[in-house]
Amino acid sequence: MGLKFSQPPSSPFKAPGFLSSFRRASSRQPSFNPPLQSLHPSIFSTLRRPPAVKPGDFIPLFSDCVSAASSRTQEYLGFQDPEDKFHPSPETLTQVPSAPRTFQKHVSLNMADAFSCTAMTPEQRVLLGADWVWALLEKPTKTPKVQIAVQVLHLPRRKEAEPTEAPSSDSRSESVQMARLEGGHRSVQERLVDFCSSVGKDCYALFLFFGRKNDRENVYGVLSNNFEAAVGKCSKIDRTLIENFFKGSRYLHTCSFIVIVLIKCLKKSFTGDVMNNASAFNVK
Amino acid sequence: MAATQDMKGKGEGGDQNFDYMFKLLIIGNSSVGKTSFLFRYADDAFTSAFVSTVGIDFKVKTVYKNDKRIKLQIWDTAGQERYRTITTAYYRGAMGFILMYDITNEESFGAVQDWSTQIKTYSWDNAQVVLAGNKCDMDEERVVSVDSGRLLAEQLGFEFFETSAKDNINVKQTFERLVDLICDKMSESLDADPAVTTGAPTAKLTDSAPPLQQPGCNC
Ligand SMILES: Nc1nc2c(ncn2[C@@H]2O[C@H](COP(=O)(O)OP(=O)(O)OP(=O)(O)O)[C@@H](O)[C@H]2O)c(=O)[nH]1
Ligand SMILES: [Mg+2]
Repeated sequence: MGLKFSQPPSSPFKAPGFLSSFRRASSRQPSFNPPLQSLHPSIFSTLRRPPAVKPGDFIPLFSDCVSAASSRTQEYLGFQDPEDKFHPSPETLTQVPSAPRTFQKHVSLNMADAFSCTAMTPEQRVLLGADWVWALLEKPTKTPKVQIAVQVLHLPRRKEAEPTEAPSSDSRSESVQMARLEGGHRSVQERLVDFCSSVGKDCYALFLFFGRKNDRENVYGVLSNNFEAAVGKCSKIDRTLIENFFKGSRYLHTCSFIVIVLIKCLKKSFTGDVMNNASAFNVK
Repeated sequence: MAATQDMKGKGEGGDQNFDYMFKLLIIGNSSVGKTSFLFRYADDAFTSAFVSTVGIDFKVKTVYKNDKRIKLQIWDTAGQERYRTITTAYYRGAMGFILMYDITNEESFGAVQDWSTQIKTYSWDNAQVVLAGNKCDMDEERVVSVDSGRLLAEQLGFEFFETSAKDNINVKQTFERLVDLICDKMSESLDADPAVTTGAPTAKLTDSAPPLQQPGCNC
């Protein structure tokens, strides 16, 4: 797309082939068209644009970000380890979606707006419940117009989406423990919802499920700026509640739904909740 | 008194081996260098890349003062307005603040008064504040003179330093001064009313007092 992306000073992904070496022989191209979409040609298909990016045209770019991240993650999760010796840490897995260059922090784009993807520190992951935060920035001020705080809920070994490194005496794990104390009795899902609602309606919580049982290669997600509304209906926002959004296909959207939300938010007509119900989507 | 709650002596989580825990906050406009300042202090590192903080974050650092281990829980707040609700929630219980502006940014200096009001509104009365004019390495681009920084600090009743996270100027000194101020304040409170800190004797950190068994504050 003729965009320039700055290289991070250091990254676990810098090593050539870090991800590609895990790629399956039949590696798929990043696909943004779930089966639903191929059955019903929809407005989502219009979001796939030719590579030329017009100034201000962030939609294809954002689509590509989502698509690249999910396909990378899918490759990663679909990797078959013949000797079962490969045990990525939860931290590594949460870094995967921010690996593509398209995601690098504060990418400067040839357009009025810019995206950023900020990976949270281990302490922030506990305090705020977010693994990373996408933002669409206003150019002169660099303040976020819309944010999506993402929590990854796939990791079989990861309870409550909190870092589960073995306790050690270093200050990092100590501070992570302190952060847990700060969080009190709230579930990590509640922390994300609380964080987003403290910021405002332009901050969306996105729960992403990678590698669900019996369906390891798909990515599911639930996105809303109004999860707190669920509190009235059930006592607690937790993983079970979030997973319940997947029951019933009427909430199933394509991943492009995020893009639709962004468009809505950017339009001046945006006046509060885009969704009264959370929306689930599935990337195949 | 808010201080006693954070000075419980032996913490519940993490390394339990400390005598006191001080909760400190760094506040100020976005991009003045709060994260860089903390990064320099805790990890002795600096990066010129700007990644605006999302919400709030913290680091832990242990310092020693007269044979006492003081654990500093240093909260790095996001300067952007949209996070104000979440950041002000952390003011409560903070014993010290580093209020930062950027000497090359007039607006950040102009906002100091507002930040000071935020402290008064959301924190406890005895919280200690140091005003830090950061990026003093960029003298050619300076728009706020040392004198106006000092004068404002005097008016607000704060201590003052010009600092540079980049060149490591006055970073450690700022934290050390804040710790001293907190200790002095606590000794004062104890002298005035020893009962406020669960009956701990009024030994001061400035004296070389023997280690105390009581969980209360005695610095
Ligand atoms: N020259 C110079 N640059 C600095 C100094 N401190 C920070 N910076 C730069 O200023 C920019 C902003 O620094 P940050 O520490 O991220 O600012 P912040 O106050 O944490 O900003 P928010 O998180 O948005 O509130 C970065 O590009 C830093 O490299 C300094 O002492 N000197
Ligand atoms: Mg910061």
